[in-house]
Amino acid sequence: MVQWSMGGIVDRRRFLNWFLGTTAGAFLFTVFYPISRYLVPPKVQESTSRTVTLALKPADVKFNTGQIFRFGSQPAILVRTPAGELKAFAAVCTHLACIVQYRNDLNHIWCACHNGHFDLNGLNISGPPPRPLEQYVVNVRGDQIVVSKGA
Amino acid sequence: MNLDGFSRLAGLVLLIVSLSPSYLAAQQKPDNCVGCHTALGDERLAEPAKHFAEDIHATKGFGCVSCHGGDASDAEMSAMSPAKGYIGKPKGTKIVEVCGRCHSNARFMRQYNPALRVDQVTEYYSSVHGRRLKESGDPKVAICSSCHRTHSIRPPSDPRSSVHPLKVADLCGSCHAEAKIMAQYKIPTDQLEKYKKSVHWTLLSVKGDLSAPTCNDCHGNHGATPPGISWVGNVCGQCHVVNTELFDKSRHAKVFVQMGMPGCASCHDNHQILQTSDEMLGLSEPAVCIRCHSAEDRGGKSAAAMRTLIDSLGKEYDKAHSILLKAERSGMEVSQAQFELSEAKTALVKARAAIHAFSVVVVKKEVDPGLQISAKAHTRGLKALEELGFRRRWLVVSMAIILALVGAIVVKIRRMERKEQ
Repeated sequence: MVQWSMGGIVDRRRFLNWFLGTTAGAFLFTVFYPISRYLVPPKVQESTSRTVTLALKPADVKFNTGQIFRFGSQPAILVRTPAGELKAFAAVCTHLACIVQYRNDLNHIWCACHNGHFDLNGLNISGPPPRPLEQYVVNVRGDQIVVSKGA
Repeated sequence: MNLDGFSRLAGLVLLIVSLSPSYLAAQQKPDNCVGCHTALGDERLAEPAKHFAEDIHATKGFGCVSCHGGDASDAEMSAMSPAKGYIGKPKGTKIVEVCGRCHSNARFMRQYNPALRVDQVTEYYSSVHGRRLKESGDPKVAICSSCHRTHSIRPPSDPRSSVHPLKVADLCGSCHAEAKIMAQYKIPTDQLEKYKKSVHWTLLSVKGDLSAPTCNDCHGNHGATPPGISWVGNVCGQCHVVNTELFDKSRHAKVFVQMGMPGCASCHDNHQILQTSDEMLGLSEPAVCIRCHSAEDRGGKSAAAMRTLIDSLGKEYDKAHSILLKAERSGMEVSQAQFELSEAKTALVKARAAIHAFSVVVVKKEVDPGLQISAKAHTRGLKALEELGFRRRWLVVSMAIILALVGAIVVKIRRMERKEQ
């Protein structure tokens, strides 16, 4: 009876020690894992809520063209004007939220849904859009095009 | 140069000098007109002089004599003698003539506003107002001063102007909504009331969109005339270009003309143009198609099919949009899916415009890509929510392990304390 009791106490103690050791190990793992992932970050896309670096080189963007890119969850449009200037705007039409496009025959931004026209400053110049397109700041850093929302 | 040539040249120089702002400004100094009219104590005579200081003509250097004639430098009653060109208070065609003297002169107007049109008088005499004035001498029709006022004229861009876009409807309504005034012309007086229920007035008055149309944008301003049945679409097409182009190519365009129906206004009304909705399409109230079509005819079947297509895309888009929103609010990263779903929104808007082609094929061409995009976005939303559920389940498991650990530590500490005792 005593032997059984002693054996039971020893077993429980061993179990507790094993359990504590395992969970302590797991605890240390949960502490050090995030630190290691912070030091060696995974290859994920940067947050695009306020700034986005485009997968384009400035030299690849031809004059008098425009292309859609993702800015956060919304479409935006990068335009290189006929004069060579890079500009970016929200690509969501201010009329009924269609995606706008660049028309190189008109030299400005156009919405196909209801024929809305925006000039190269984003101003609504013709058709039903009631407001201008939101303009973003474009910076060229070496071979990168960085688009960000103004302050 | 002979004497005749010399006198012509002198006349030309005199004309140019007399039309220069400095000469006009010099002409009104001293301005005895304003001095006497404000000092006489007669409110009726003082009123014009009081308001004229803020009139655009006064700010450009013109005085009373520019319109009324006479001599402002003469402080006596002789200032208002016909010998000095005084014409008194012009009325009817005389007012149009006085305004047109400058406003129809391109060379003269260029000095003040090179962009201003100079065909207002020509346009006016092409309007219903102008024709009635010229042909029947109707004294009640609108003339320049009816709309622009007499002594407080401001440009339409000035919010205080009587012809500012926000005031035009009430201005026209001041006659056209008055049953007493309109009785003799036998025309309806409900246009203003109807217009104020329209989406155009809401845009103008509530949203502050001054580009939204008011009376003059459809009827013309100086040449105000009701749009003809055959060209009402051209008027709407000034802004609604895509819809008009689709309509013009459709079978309805010809049929409407044959039936004497006023294009766009047949379905959208003329003054009470309400916010459009998908319910306008189909075979049940308040659809407009049932005014001519039934479930049995080909047009009715097309209307029902187009409505089904639009509804299906609308529902699929809403479903995908709401699931992505739910995932986003739960902290999941779904921005790529949301970005792609905006194409489906574009497809839905295009499909709604495409119904003006009255062709199931044209609408389907816009709807199908939208359905595919919506389905893909919906699947991605579902996956994001599944991932969220997985994370939550494993959070519960890890919490259970942590709690068990805490319990084990407590037991261990107690046992160690007992051992020490």
